[in-house]
Amino acid sequence: MSTDGGRGGLAKGVVFDAILLAYLLVLATVAAYGPSPEQMLMLGRNSFVGLILLAASATAALALRRAGVATVGSVVFEKGAAPKSGELRPWYRSFWAWQLLLVLGATFYVGARETEMSLYELTDEAGFRGATNLFRGIFSPNFAILPKAVLAIIETVYIAFMATLIAVPVAFVLSFTAAKNIMSRHPATFAFYVALRTALNVSRSVEPLIWAIIFSVWVGIGPFAGMLALMIHSIASLAKQYSEIVECVEDGPIEGIQSTGASFIQTIWFAIVPQIVLPYISFTIYRWDINVRMATVIGMVGGGGIGTILYQYQGQAMWPEVGCLVVVIAAVVWLMDTASAYIREAIK
Amino acid sequence: MTSETLFSLRAVNKVYDGGVHALKDISFEVHKGEFLVVIGLSGSGKSTLLRCMNALHRPTSGEICYRGRDIAAATSREAREIRQRVAMIFQHFNLVPRTTVLKNVLTGALGRTGTARSLVGMFADEERKRAMRFLDLLGIADKARHRADQLSGGQQQRVAIARALTQEPEVLLADEPVASLDPATCHTIMDYLQKVNRELGITIVCNLHFLSLVRQYASRVVALRAGELVFDGQPADIDEAWFRRIYGEEAKEVHVN
Repeated sequence: MSTDGGRGGLAKGVVFDAILLAYLLVLATVAAYGPSPEQMLMLGRNSFVGLILLAASATAALALRRAGVATVGSVVFEKGAAPKSGELRPWYRSFWAWQLLLVLGATFYVGARETEMSLYELTDEAGFRGATNLFRGIFSPNFAILPKAVLAIIETVYIAFMATLIAVPVAFVLSFTAAKNIMSRHPATFAFYVALRTALNVSRSVEPLIWAIIFSVWVGIGPFAGMLALMIHSIASLAKQYSEIVECVEDGPIEGIQSTGASFIQTIWFAIVPQIVLPYISFTIYRWDINVRMATVIGMVGGGGIGTILYQYQGQAMWPEVGCLVVVIAAVVWLMDTASAYIREAIK
Repeated sequence: MTSETLFSLRAVNKVYDGGVHALKDISFEVHKGEFLVVIGLSGSGKSTLLRCMNALHRPTSGEICYRGRDIAAATSREAREIRQRVAMIFQHFNLVPRTTVLKNVLTGALGRTGTARSLVGMFADEERKRAMRFLDLLGIADKARHRADQLSGGQQQRVAIARALTQEPEVLLADEPVASLDPATCHTIMDYLQKVNRELGITIVCNLHFLSLVRQYASRVVALRAGELVFDGQPADIDEAWFRRIYGEEAKEVHVN
């Protein structure tokens, strides 16, 4: 067995195999023991058992590695291992193929149970009638509420617009302090870079939906809460995308401007900004486009705009009215999407 | 030479973070009005030397005095003041893309324009006139409204020279100014540098590859080999023996016509 992947690949491969094995062992234990719901909730004891199983798997994975068996871990993480064993024998006689099939099969079985998959529910007559009813309503939209829908979507578009507009200057300033090539020159600025990157990643990983819930408690249900939620998410996303553009700028112009005796701020403004302004605009338009779509969803948890009335009609099962809203949303989203694609193409 | 000394380097060493010893105990002087050419193989430390003289890099030890002020010990504000007087042009021109030629040339005035004024583009009228005058001097005034990245290599280097002149410098450092240009354009650029040297009285320190250019343009030559200064004298004094000593035994001279 080749060890071209080096020591790093070797260690990763063993850890990967250990995790796969432990996963199978945990599933097997649950299946064999059949614990009650109360027993499933006993965190301390269960993690203890899990750790023992993980330790056993790690030992087994190491043993497999020593024996030179081509496991999934070695095939994925050690370059050169796969073709070699592939040449020697067909896939159905290799260890890793059966290991992979077993993991996928077990996962599908458990997944089907966890998601309560049921063909019976899908073909149940009463349920089917309900769905038909819903579709019939949606496909015969009640255009009497069209004026109301249009006013609501105008609110949604403005929520998205304001969120983007406020986020852009903030993200613009943050993007330079979140760019590695600018901030890695000094330990203090680098520490700031790491802190900011972490803060941005955390706020970005909190979905706008959750921000909307937070702000609807804070400032009350309505478009303001929705706008704040989208703004926070836009700042984090734009700052990251912008800073990646800053990290890709050419160094030559920076050196050229520096050599004239320009200050730090002047160097950023005259050497970096001209290189990034077009990609910035492109990302900004795309963000507004995304925000319009997100603002609709956010409205459903109290963020105002068309989402809020969509939620109301849906709750009362007023399907023809829902149908009208769906038509309006689809039209606006398509319009925004097409317009933003055209503009981004034009300024490339 | 009896004219006044602009630069005096004493025992300059530069060791990069990676451990590369780029300059070893370099000592020489640059006098006012010279056209000093630095020769040597790629990687012999020529670029590092010029960047140290412009305070873009700090030497690890030693002294680089410009008019008696030690650049190596300068604060960043002092370094910026020195850079205004010691302009630089580069092998890859280092112009700002997606920006007009005129705006590129105006960046030469950044050092004496306040940060706030420069950010809103409020360069004084006299700065614009000065920039246009230098573009005219270099024969590309008609390109002032073009985007810098749409010009040919030779034109871009002329824009870079105009930017450097806008700094109103006393010295112009040129780092391989013709290395990425074709032979014909090469001479145009060198002629412009000579013009800058003779007509505006700006001292020039220029890195070059080709010895034939050195003989044609230099008033004095220093040679680096593996970071050490191995020659300091007149271009005519570089004979076959010196040539081999600077470029290695295997080297053959190439002429640019």
